[in-house]
Amino acid sequence: MHRSLQNNSTRVGGTETVSEGRARVVAWIGREILPHEADLRAWLRRAFATAGDVDDIVQETYCRLAGLSHVDHIGEPRAYLFQAARSVALEQLRRARVVRIDTVTEIDALNIELDEPSPERIAGGRRELERVRRLIAALPDRCRRIFEMRKIEGLPQREIARRMGVTENVVENESVRGLRAILAALAEGETEEQTAARRPSTHDRTRKRR
Amino acid sequence: MTARESAADIEAAAARWVVRADRGDLDPAELEAWLAGDTRRQGAFVRAQAAWGLLDRGRALGVEETPQRQRIDRRGLLAGLGVAAAACVAVVVAPRLLAARYGTAVGEIRRVPLADGSLAAINTDTALEVAMKPRRREVRLDRGEAWFQVAKDAERPFVVESGPVRVRAVGTAFSVRRRDGGCEVLVTEGVVEVWSEGADEAPRRVTAGERVFASDSAGPARPVPASLEITRELAWREGQIVLDGEAFGAAAEEFNRYNARKIVIADPALAEQKLVGWFRTNEPESFARAAASSFGARVTVRGDAILVQSIAPLAE
Repeated sequence: MHRSLQNNSTRVGGTETVSEGRARVVAWIGREILPHEADLRAWLRRAFATAGDVDDIVQETYCRLAGLSHVDHIGEPRAYLFQAARSVALEQLRRARVVRIDTVTEIDALNIELDEPSPERIAGGRRELERVRRLIAALPDRCRRIFEMRKIEGLPQREIARRMGVTENVVENESVRGLRAILAALAEGETEEQTAARRPSTHDRTRKRR
Repeated sequence: MTARESAADIEAAAARWVVRADRGDLDPAELEAWLAGDTRRQGAFVRAQAAWGLLDRGRALGVEETPQRQRIDRRGLLAGLGVAAAACVAVVVAPRLLAARYGTAVGEIRRVPLADGSLAAINTDTALEVAMKPRRREVRLDRGEAWFQVAKDAERPFVVESGPVRVRAVGTAFSVRRRDGGCEVLVTEGVVEVWSEGADEAPRRVTAGERVFASDSAGPARPVPASLEITRELAWREGQIVLDGEAFGAAAEEFNRYNARKIVIADPALAEQKLVGWFRTNEPESFARAAASSFGARVTVRGDAILVQSIAPLAE
């Protein structure tokens, strides 16, 4: 199950161009990194309760991942993600200049975090696919229809606008709204009940800063 | 002074860029300009791209994938990601200076552009001499530590001499620290060759992310991989000391390299305590106080000494 999904996005020919390499990095982030983001955020909130801002750290961390030219050498994406975030967090503490040692020593908790692959994590691909389905299903009606046409039927935005009898701007706005809701859900790592109850209007609440 | 853009605003804008790219309504220059404004934007953008792409898996639930069209649609996104990657690399620009001899006082850290386009970062209490010869760029490190970002010039190797130890590079970055009986060499980019005139051994190749100790008399030991350590140890270039599990005693010695006011640890058990943290090289007292508070010790400042003592003997 997991295997077939992987093949889907890592299939390449003999002559790989630079942009194909980048497409692979983006696909890899979607497949191997995003599923761990909620755990990462939870850890950052615990380890850096008084330092930095978790949202900032996460964005900087993704920036570092975006700079990767290839990802085949990364055997443990979860561990890699945590290490990258740790180094970003340390960098931010450095900028803050005065370091409270009791805060920083909690970074050691990282090791514990990485050693415990939970059963859900191992379940991998199937769970992930169901999650994508749930994420789309939980969107408000119009938003969900647009996502289904775009992502399942593969229609371009212009064609979606034509079929729905709305402007392309409406399709764009709904897509942005949907994507933001999905990003918020990925950040939260929510339970199934929460997913069912989710609407993008809850977005602001879920993004609230510590 | 405008307020710092919030992470939530950045995330919203990133989602907009991804959807616009998907729509085909994207001016790459505009995206580039936006990405260039903040590394967090680059991160948020790649994250939104990845989430958007993740949803393509929804296709597995419906009709067959159509890879061809997908590729065309993604071109705009890929262009943007290239910018993101490039912009993540920081560039150091410094004014040019021409001089042959450089010295730093205790606590002083200098960045010096060399005549050949190379850059030297010179650490505390260091004596350095640079001679740009037609066939060879020669640097003599008599005392202390320096890191070099060497401009590529295959015709003129860049050789650092410290006692009998030699480190040779063509275009690369590395640091050399003079210690008793030898040199510590850390390589941050490319490859260098290390040997000692005082030993019969062949030069050793040391590559990026490796460190080696070259003894004056026996030459270099086997290089060991240590990229995280190297990044930490070279934090002095920004006036920082980074500790990640080092003993308090060793950390205090490190601070003492930079300051006339020396940290003195009264209790050997205290000196073995491990520390994690990020500090300014020139703030030994705040370091000592932070450490003391986490070990339950006391700090007393007397003249040129910052004395750290246990309040009660440490239980073993």
